[in-house]
Amino acid sequence: MTWLQRRVRPEQIRELSLLVLIAIAIAFFGSFIDGYYSFRTFNRIASSVAIITVVAVGQTLVVLTRNIDLSVGSIVGFTAYFVGTLIANDNGINPLLAVAIAIAMGAGLGVVNGVIVAWGRVPAVVVTLGTLAIYRGVLVDLSGAKTVTTDSLPDWLTGLPLVNVAPIGNLDIRPLFVLAVVIVVIFQFATTYLSFARRFYAIGSNPEAAQLVGLPMRGVVFLAFVICGALAGLAGFMFLVRFGNITVEAGRGLELSVVAAVVVGGVNIFGGSGTVAGAMFGAVLIGTLEQSLFRLGISEFWLDAVLGLLILLAVASDAVILQRLRALWGGAELKLVAKEADSVSGERRAPRP
Amino acid sequence: MTGAEDSADGATAVAPVLEIRRVAKRFDATQALDDVSLSLHAGEIHALLGENGAGKSTLIKIITGVHQPDRGQIMLAARSVTIRSAADAQRLGIAAIYQEPLLFPDLNVAENIFISHQDRGAVVSWAQMFHEAESILAELGVALDVRSPARGLTLAAQQSVEIAKAISLNVRILIMDEPTASLSAHEVQELFKLVRDLKRQGVAILFVSHRMEEVFEIADKVTVFRDGRLISTRARLEATPQGAIADMVGREIDLTKTRATAARTDLVLSVSALGRQGVFEGVTFDLHRGEVLGFAGLIGAGRTDVGLALFGIEPATSGTILLNDKPVAIRSPRDGMKLGIAYVSEDRRQLGLVLPMSIFANVTLPVLRRYLNRFGLVRTSLERGTADAFRARLAIRAPSVDLEVAKLSGGNQQKVMLSKWLNTDPSILILDEPTRGVDVGSKAEVHAIIAQLATEGIGIIVISSDLPEVLALSDRVLVMREGRQMAILDRAEANQETVMTAAMGQRPANSLDGSAP
Amino acid sequence: MSALERLKGWEAMMLALLCAIVALNGVWSPYFLSVGNFVNLFQLSIEKSIVALTMALVIIGGEIDLSVASVMGLAACVMAWTFHEGAPMPLAVLLALAAGALAGLNNAFWIAKVGLPSLAVTLAGLIGYRGVARILLEDRAIGGFPDWFNTLGQQALIGPLTAAILIFFLLFVFFAIVLHGSAFGRLVYVVGSNVQAARYSGVRVGLVKSALFVGSAFVAALAGILYAARLGSVRGDMAEGFELDVITAVLLGGVSIFGGKGNLVGVGLSLLVILNLRNGMGLANITGNTQNDVIGGLLILSVLIPNMWQDLHNKWKGRET
Repeated sequence: MTWLQRRVRPEQIRELSLLVLIAIAIAFFGSFIDGYYSFRTFNRIASSVAIITVVAVGQTLVVLTRNIDLSVGSIVGFTAYFVGTLIANDNGINPLLAVAIAIAMGAGLGVVNGVIVAWGRVPAVVVTLGTLAIYRGVLVDLSGAKTVTTDSLPDWLTGLPLVNVAPIGNLDIRPLFVLAVVIVVIFQFATTYLSFARRFYAIGSNPEAAQLVGLPMRGVVFLAFVICGALAGLAGFMFLVRFGNITVEAGRGLELSVVAAVVVGGVNIFGGSGTVAGAMFGAVLIGTLEQSLFRLGISEFWLDAVLGLLILLAVASDAVILQRLRALWGGAELKLVAKEADSVSGERRAPRP
Repeated sequence: MTGAEDSADGATAVAPVLEIRRVAKRFDATQALDDVSLSLHAGEIHALLGENGAGKSTLIKIITGVHQPDRGQIMLAARSVTIRSAADAQRLGIAAIYQEPLLFPDLNVAENIFISHQDRGAVVSWAQMFHEAESILAELGVALDVRSPARGLTLAAQQSVEIAKAISLNVRILIMDEPTASLSAHEVQELFKLVRDLKRQGVAILFVSHRMEEVFEIADKVTVFRDGRLISTRARLEATPQGAIADMVGREIDLTKTRATAARTDLVLSVSALGRQGVFEGVTFDLHRGEVLGFAGLIGAGRTDVGLALFGIEPATSGTILLNDKPVAIRSPRDGMKLGIAYVSEDRRQLGLVLPMSIFANVTLPVLRRYLNRFGLVRTSLERGTADAFRARLAIRAPSVDLEVAKLSGGNQQKVMLSKWLNTDPSILILDEPTRGVDVGSKAEVHAIIAQLATEGIGIIVISSDLPEVLALSDRVLVMREGRQMAILDRAEANQETVMTAAMGQRPANSLDGSAP
Repeated sequence: MSALERLKGWEAMMLALLCAIVALNGVWSPYFLSVGNFVNLFQLSIEKSIVALTMALVIIGGEIDLSVASVMGLAACVMAWTFHEGAPMPLAVLLALAAGALAGLNNAFWIAKVGLPSLAVTLAGLIGYRGVARILLEDRAIGGFPDWFNTLGQQALIGPLTAAILIFFLLFVFFAIVLHGSAFGRLVYVVGSNVQAARYSGVRVGLVKSALFVGSAFVAALAGILYAARLGSVRGDMAEGFELDVITAVLLGGVSIFGGKGNLVGVGLSLLVILNLRNGMGLANITGNTQNDVIGGLLILSVLIPNMWQDLHNKWKGRET
């Protein structure tokens, strides 16, 4: 086993291979589309990916624990609509307070999911399939099918997507993109270096062992759902910022894009492995294709078909490539102590009474 | 060492690390533990013996905080304690190692060792963790890559990680629940070396095993449980395996009795130079009607892989198989079944049985086609008939064949698995670890069944890590090591030493030249 | 053992719930108990009910098929497109069924042969098959099918029953026999409970799984065609999002999401409960969204309440000893 093999793991190469795929996709589109390498392209992809990425980070935590949260689309719509209404009614509200309310609202909905899954022992698919319908239903009922319009929102909010945070040459860095990157970085570090966050992996990897070791199973699963809800709430606010016009249909179907990003990003759907960064790369890869294909002159109607194929290939290649790499690396056993085997058998033979 | 009463007196000199006082526990209708008292001293290896359901597991679960006792006290260093959870037990310096190591396959070896440490701070220092894990493993004399995920480690390596885990926690009391059940003789010796080291460091060890010879090799004291009661506690030197077994089952059973053997007549299976790329190679043997061929060797020697190849689950890539003198290709389990081969897996729960389904559905599964009427529907009455017949024949203790298999004991599950494959009318029966996790009484029954099947003319291959079992059952013993066939020993020349020597990689011929005919 | 005794806890619960709803609805609105209303009730979501039958088999087999609604859309679009391009209607219908089977084969290949998780594969199918449907129809709506075809979806054939309802009953009986009486059905439970043990018993697991996914997609295609016949026209986004309703109905029917457990009686009862609930609430002027709330809540409670009951039971028992 070489030094490189000891330091770099097949699981890490998975993220690298996604980066390579993204690079190939960009090179491919760049060579066919005039003026593809521009900050406009970057911004378009960045802003389309930001929301999905934030939700995918939370979803990753939930999937790591062997669960799934299908209600995220409804949570995004719920918070986008109600925070939007709140701001529309009171344009003077403190922006930070508005963000905090969005996060708290999402976290609250996540608490409901988490409590029922962790303490009610109801499978996550069942719970979140139910709350997917319930959160949306409550939203529609309470809203009276009214719409939040851009006109009713204050300028700081409608102008936010176009603010330039840190101009690098011609490249505009937009706040939503920055926010998404900050979230990914925070959670990537947390899941790598925080003892508590490592438990997401442990519980998904072997729940039975986690129980016997005495890890707080319920607490960890609960926390995953709460964080997922909170991030979906934040994404709801981002949704409001990006689109301005919010109907009760906002975010419908988002859960599928998010799960797709997570799966393409190499997070094992059966828990235990995968990274937050991988989920982001998954979202970026999908976003890059979404935003680039139609510029090739391909009809927008082709997008979904290609996307479906891509997800399939990503999952298939991931499974095949990872298997090959693991075989190449070999297991953890350098050499089990077979030394002195002879002397052992010689001196310690089973005594016969 | 003195007898049971005296050792209790001896405890006044050195206070026991752990003392169980009159503990009782009841589940529904069964009294799992009844007024049990036991003391454990530093630097002592105390073995617990008993059939399944005798109360050993309940006692362990009470000590590790999984269950709470209904009555009685647990004293730690002369102080009464309440252990409410695994975390509590850990804080008190109690750790447990189970038959199936419970590692996290996606976490690396180092993280597995330190997973349950609550005092390592909120931030993981990977470099330090790798370093510490490496030094603990080095101390144990185990070479493992601590950065690699635990996925794919052999059972023996997993046990090493579990022990490293226990050591890292500075345990005072280590409970080992059948730690050797999946280990081969050599690996058991390696494990015992570690256990003796721990003992020297003053760790008190509670050791549960079904293997009598191991208990009598390593234990200082032997305690026997039966029906939730503590029957006897004796110093090892005063106890005998026969006496312990008698205490366990309430009657005498001889497990070392060798099977009467028959003359080798008709050849059923002839295998030559069989191999599967990268797994095993050059396996050559004959199997006759009514013969029991034992497969011995260390875990990972490729014995199970030969079985899987013969049955077609992981088909062979080289060599030839002659069945009744005709060459055959076995590419799938269906091929194997059509040729009259049956493979009874070593892993009852994962590979052998469909636990949530009924006994009869399990028994008829491989040959479900036989039970169809002309509309292609399953005739369950016919299935029940078959299952009932086997229930009587193999003495499966179950009120009805409609019962879920999950609700049966290990020994009865093993019998259901045997029924399932006997129902395919095999001419060749491959039994992989037929008595793993089975209590002594059932073990003797399974051995009797195997002997009976051989006299009925079935060619039987017994793969087992339990060397006395292989020796007691087999007409001949095939020994493997690292995917190669080392020797085939006749009953006359097969004994613990010759088999182990071959399994360790030395041609037994060297040592046998003088003694073997 | 009498039939009543064999009804397990879950089915008994669903049956009680159903009776309560029907009784309540009957009191609420006298119109509710008329035959015409019952037929209407059935007709409204008959396509989802049909797909739920095969979905139940797939989930009992330990897998999931998220692509069913997209396959419904795909089949309808293939039919509409080929008809629009001048093919005779019967041929268009056959091609639509073939497209469904093909989609199922594609799912089966990746799941049974390559060994990928069905959740990922059929998620790709959900997006991809819908994509193909969109490519065919873009943003058009195609209608003007021959009268016989529209009649098939809209007119009663026997008594008050339409073709779709008759097909549902036939398929229900067929799949109930397949699942509970045939060797294949037994193998579905075995594969769903312990796929490894199935393999070690010589069960051709790949074949069982392939049959499940091809069957699921084929029935979904059939349902898509019936849906087109009922609506009289086809659009690219037809039946979008149906998969969640279908899965909800199956899980509410007591089928375990982890496979190996459940039966078609439970699923049938769950379909009736949902239909009656929706209908009753509709008659009481409760909107579709509140209906979704109630059904979502019911789904969660149906698992939660037995769990909590058991916890209480254990606690109570623990205190006794």
